[in-house]
Amino acid sequence: MREEDAFKKQFDWELTKRILVYLKPYFWVAVGGVVLSFLIAVASQTFPRLLKTAIDQYLAPAAGSSFSALSVDARLQGVATIALFILGVAFLEFVTRYAFQFTLSWLGQNVLFDVRADLFSKLQRLPLAYFDKNPVGRLITRVTSDVDAINQFITNGLLTLITSIFVVAAVLFNMFSLNWQLGLIATATVPILFFSARFFQTKFRDSYRDLRIKQAIVNTSLNENITGMGTVQLFNREARNRRDFNNLNSSFLRANLTTVHWFSFYFPVVGLISSMALALVIWYGGGQVIQNIVTIGTLVAFTRYVGNFWQPLQDLSDVINNLQAAMASSERIFGILDEPESVADKPNAKIFETGFKGDVEFKDVWFSYKPVGEEVLPTDWVLRGINFRVKPGESVAFVGATGAGKTSVISLISRFYDVQKGQVLVDGEDVRDLAQRNLRKHVGVVLQDVFLFAGTIESNLRMNDPEIPIERIVQACKYVGVHEFITSLPNGYQTEVRERGATLSTGQKQLLAFARALIQNPDILLVLDEATANVDTESELQIQDALAKVMHGRTSIIIAHRLSTIKNCNRIIVMRKGKIVEEGSHEELLEKGGYYNTLYRLQYADQEMTV
Amino acid sequence: MQNEFFGIGKYLLAHRRQWFWGIFFVLISVGASLAGPPLIVGRAVDALRAGTATTGLIVQYALLILLTALISNAATFMMRRFLVVASRQISYEVRRDIFANLTKQDQGYFHNNRTGDLMNRLTGDLNTVQEMLGFGISQGSSTFLTMIISLSLMFALSPTLGLVTLCVFPIIATILFFVIKTIGKRHVAVQEQASVISAKAQENFSGIRVVKGYAIEDREINEYKTMNLEYRRRVIRLAMIEGPLWAFVGLLMNFVFIAVLLIGSRQLITADANARFAGLTIGQFVQFTTYLFNLQWPMLAVGVMASLIQRGASSWQRLQQILEVQPAIRDSERTDSSIKTVAGNIRFENLSLSADNRTLLNNINLSIPKGQTLGITGRTGAGKTLLASLVGRMQDPSSGRVLVDGHDVRDIPVSVLRSHIGYVPQEPFLFSDTIAENIAFGLNESTQVEHANKPDFATIKWAANVAGLAKDVEDFPAQYDTMLGERGVTLSGGQRQRTALARAVARKPEILILDDSMSAVDTETESRILNELKTVLEDRTVLLIGHRVSTLRYADHIIVLENGRIFEQGTHDQLIALGGVYAEMERKQGLENVLEVDEEPSTVLKLGVN
Repeated sequence: MREEDAFKKQFDWELTKRILVYLKPYFWVAVGGVVLSFLIAVASQTFPRLLKTAIDQYLAPAAGSSFSALSVDARLQGVATIALFILGVAFLEFVTRYAFQFTLSWLGQNVLFDVRADLFSKLQRLPLAYFDKNPVGRLITRVTSDVDAINQFITNGLLTLITSIFVVAAVLFNMFSLNWQLGLIATATVPILFFSARFFQTKFRDSYRDLRIKQAIVNTSLNENITGMGTVQLFNREARNRRDFNNLNSSFLRANLTTVHWFSFYFPVVGLISSMALALVIWYGGGQVIQNIVTIGTLVAFTRYVGNFWQPLQDLSDVINNLQAAMASSERIFGILDEPESVADKPNAKIFETGFKGDVEFKDVWFSYKPVGEEVLPTDWVLRGINFRVKPGESVAFVGATGAGKTSVISLISRFYDVQKGQVLVDGEDVRDLAQRNLRKHVGVVLQDVFLFAGTIESNLRMNDPEIPIERIVQACKYVGVHEFITSLPNGYQTEVRERGATLSTGQKQLLAFARALIQNPDILLVLDEATANVDTESELQIQDALAKVMHGRTSIIIAHRLSTIKNCNRIIVMRKGKIVEEGSHEELLEKGGYYNTLYRLQYADQEMTV
Repeated sequence: MQNEFFGIGKYLLAHRRQWFWGIFFVLISVGASLAGPPLIVGRAVDALRAGTATTGLIVQYALLILLTALISNAATFMMRRFLVVASRQISYEVRRDIFANLTKQDQGYFHNNRTGDLMNRLTGDLNTVQEMLGFGISQGSSTFLTMIISLSLMFALSPTLGLVTLCVFPIIATILFFVIKTIGKRHVAVQEQASVISAKAQENFSGIRVVKGYAIEDREINEYKTMNLEYRRRVIRLAMIEGPLWAFVGLLMNFVFIAVLLIGSRQLITADANARFAGLTIGQFVQFTTYLFNLQWPMLAVGVMASLIQRGASSWQRLQQILEVQPAIRDSERTDSSIKTVAGNIRFENLSLSADNRTLLNNINLSIPKGQTLGITGRTGAGKTLLASLVGRMQDPSSGRVLVDGHDVRDIPVSVLRSHIGYVPQEPFLFSDTIAENIAFGLNESTQVEHANKPDFATIKWAANVAGLAKDVEDFPAQYDTMLGERGVTLSGGQRQRTALARAVARKPEILILDDSMSAVDTETESRILNELKTVLEDRTVLLIGHRVSTLRYADHIIVLENGRIFEQGTHDQLIALGGVYAEMERKQGLENVLEVDEEPSTVLKLGVN
């Protein structure tokens, strides 16, 4: 529901200031844009004045004026001179407008780029817990439409606002310098406009907010349904999901229509107020012309200025909507940028250039997936006071039932999460004192969730590191026994991997994930044995063989479900409900006849009968 | 263009009443605004110039301006109510229909189309189409009518000046023709890059664990930045040509104004200097230039409209692709709608499947009578999942048949077939809903839960129990009302698999397919669940895909697939006796056992006796 709350944002000067910071690197370009928009305003409002001069001096000079005595040729000559002026101003307007438009997109795109880069980089630094909480669809919206709203804020919001203000100022200047009384009359309806605009602003704001909320809901649902369509179909849920989606879609439509409703009112109301101003100008100005106080040219110029005056005022409503829309978006973007990097590097985080010896120690570790600092209920604890030490080069297997906390142990060594109590030490250093990226570079993880990126098989194996020679990749693939499969594909290592490796079987993907981990040549190897569960016996033996080689001389922590996987490990740690219940070698533990013994017997009871 | 818009006609036609009335009101609005104020101002100027104006007359003129403005703005209001509303409704309908069509697509479609790309079409492209229809049609018709009416009035005022104005039209049209083509191309280029960027973000966020695990954040950031730089380059290229278009039309209109001023002034001044000469009056001249001024926006609007239509067309094309794509798997003429139920006898007949010139399944012949459990094993990529997916018609074979109860599955209505199948995949997808709703996912609506006190809550609990999930759920504070995040992030892998199992079991399906569905569940739990399933799902046909011999033993019949063929088959004992791949598998798994047991004297002794 946080999604929706963010929309309840009104115009906020603090936020605006933060957005403006993004303009800083382009300060002079922005100043150039402002200057250009000033020139456009001046140029475009010069036309009615030139028309006024043409009318009063040459086209229809007042009977008593000095121009009424001019000859026809002199009058035509005068018009030609004015035409020349108009040509000059027209060119100036064209050039400035073009330059302004270009400046606008350039500025907007650069800000867009910077915000996106910041946001994406920030997201890369946020802890896993953040991604657990926030669905992918929501994050996508942040880096797409929300960022775009900021671009709109600057281009269609801020700079258009400035342009509109310049145009209004230019019109006012021209009107009042021509005839201030008529200027006052022409602007007499401004208070009406002001109050109706304020009324509509509230309506727009509320309906826009509602619209965006509904849109977000529709998009989230769409995203989920597309991703899970296979499941929807297998369970015959098409009709139901169609209907559920349609309810969301309908309420989105209703929100849309409410917005349309207020807009349908707004523009005619503004149009009518503008016509009132015109009528006032004709009424008052006409009287003044009769009394010879105002010239016909001035009156005509005023009819133009009244029109030019209302257009930017009308645009302002759009501008304000853009600004308001950007408020919600920017608040959410800054929300991400301000998100505490709860799992952040300390200022003087230690870096182990050459890697680690591989000493891993847990000291009375209490851990829950709740954010550090939040209250943890007794049932929330995943690890409850874990103590163990793995010496460099030693291999340890963690065994236990699902939910015993084995996976968390691995996540903590890579510091995907921080512990609530106790310490996780690598080479005697608390992982919270180490540079995360440096830590993870030397810790190889084969995760339960195998994730392949779009790209080739090779790019997935080398993980974009161009320095890895292809020989090492091939060697690793031969190691885990996936080389033959890869070469059997039409393009071998260059074969494209579709979204999340959808074209590969789970087993193949997992073999690739193993190869991927081996290629990185880590100092500490963390393996989730579940990852091998989908692989047939033969491949599994291959992997175990490869694992044995790669484990040699490396600290290895293996999360094992099947006891066969751990036969190569020096030591076994048995976990149950977040605690270590037994520890020792395979033989010791079997002899002890405890929990491990039970696990062992359950798995092999069948096989022992037939052997 | 005609082809590009084919298909949108259906939607437009459904709203013809709105279009008709909308355009009717556009006519009134444009007519009143053009024939009203400019004419009245012109008359007022003439009267003032001639000295015939009285205060009373001026007041009359002012009131007339108000009256026509009232009519025109009221009509604008009505126009918006009809046209813009229609565009929003069409957008709603297209979204509804696309969603409906997506629910019909087979898995192949979703493999070939990225979620990010589909989402982009349903948001960005649909928005563009909506804008084209709403803004496009209301502005388009008012632009068109403004042009026609203005030009007619201008010709009536002065044919010469009208002609001068008309001259500029072909020039603008020619320029627009060339420029807009380029704009369209560059716009597509921008859109394509936007898709690439959001697909990248989608992938990165979904795979954040790997990204972090391999500490490749910097490389990801650089890749993302490079993509965005390209995007920026493309947008600026678009702006370079779109920017001058607007300003240029403005410039051309100023040229026309100058021409009108020069030519018009000649007529006007001659007439003004010589009262006998019937030329243009100053009021008419002002009226004419007002129209000319009013044409400036329609001229610009032609450009806007043209690029809007161009964008709309390419966006509509992308939407149309989703709207019209026909799934390979669907009910067709051959579907026998008299089939209402499925008992669960499965037969594969000369079944083959190939894709991309690779044979994935090769001449499979097999019969699984109702109530039997078939164990399927084999190497990774041997075709186990594919074979199982053919039963639920997640795809169709290239040749041969899959028979269920003697009917080719292609003859059975897809919904009937699937409603009797419970499928538990390797990587289950759970929905962001409560656990209860996830388990009840495949239940009929009438039995669907809304509150925990509804009678069918019993089914959910029962299923959770069978799947070994009940205890886990009871540990959650909100129990069955616990919300699952996207992809069930808060659950462990094993819990997710067991939730998926409960979801399948809740349907009490005739055919249950367990596709390595307990890989993340420990053996202790797995054997307990399988035992439970055995009693609960008596008389049901089960396809059990797995690697663990200890699991496969439960099967009545076991097949070993290799390179898409049935390499071996028989009961566990028969296969052991055969001494082939399965026996080897069993031997290897047993060997590991022996290796371990080896280290323990007492067991070795026992084995020796055996």
